[in-house]
Amino acid sequence: MLEDTGFGEVQIGPPVDTFGGAAGEDKARAYAVYGYAFLAHKLS
Amino acid sequence: MSTKPELVVDPEVLRSQVRDKYRAVATDPHDHFHFHTGRPLTERLGYDQQVVRGLPDEAVESFAGVGNPFSLRRLEPGEHVVDVGSGAGFDTFIAADQVGDSGRVVGIDMTAEMLAKSRATTASLGLAHVEFREGLAEGLPVEDNWADVVISNGVINLCADKRTVFNEIRRVLKPGSRLQFADIANGRPVPPEALRDIDLWTG
Repeated sequence: MLEDTGFGEVQIGPPVDTFGGAAGEDKARAYAVYGYAFLAHKLS
Repeated sequence: MSTKPELVVDPEVLRSQVRDKYRAVATDPHDHFHFHTGRPLTERLGYDQQVVRGLPDEAVESFAGVGNPFSLRRLEPGEHVVDVGSGAGFDTFIAADQVGDSGRVVGIDMTAEMLAKSRATTASLGLAHVEFREGLAEGLPVEDNWADVVISNGVINLCADKRTVFNEIRRVLKPGSRLQFADIANGRPVPPEALRDIDLWTG
C-alpha cells in the first residue's frame, strides 16, 4: 500500500516482540504479530 | 451505497473504541492493558535510555508504541516533523530533542486526555518548538508540503482506512521527504471473520 500511495525506497527493520509477556501475547502469537520500523520516501 | 467498499469495519465505531482505550492509557497508565506501556516498553523497543531518563514520567508513562520509528534513521537538526497519533507525546519529545531548537515538531492526536497531558508536559519542559493539535490521521491539520519527516508509532494499524491515511501523510510531506513509522504486521493470515471483529482491532 505504501508504494500504491506514492512512496518508494521502502526499508523495513527487524521484527520486535512488542507484545511478549503482555496480556495480548496469545493473540499476537496466534497471528505472528510483531512490531516493525518502516522508512519510506515520498516520490515526486 | 458505500464509497469505500474495501473497509471491513466502521471507521467511526473503531475510532470511538480506540479513543476509549487510549483515554484510559492517558489517565491510568499503570493499569493493565493488552500491550506494554511506559519506561519498560521504551527499553524493549530499543530507545536510547539515556535520552528516555531525561524525560519526566508524564512524557513516558502513557507511551504505548509498538516499535522505534527512529531506529532506521535519526532525525536531522532543523527538520520539520509531524507525529501522527502523538498520544502523550513521548515520540514527539524524542523528535524534538533530535531536531533541536531550529526544528519544529507538531503532534496530532484525537484524544482530549492525551492532548492535555502532552501540552502540559511541553509547557513544563519549556519547549517552544513543539506544538500539539487536535485532529485525525485521515485529516491532518497541517498545511501541504510542510514536513521533512512524518513519524507515527502503532497508530496506522488502528485506522480503518489506511489508504486515506497514507495519502494524507503524503500531502503534508515535502517532495523527496520521509515517512518513518513503526507498526505491527502479522506473519500469518487473519481470517475474514476476525478482520470484521472490531474488538480484535483494539484488544
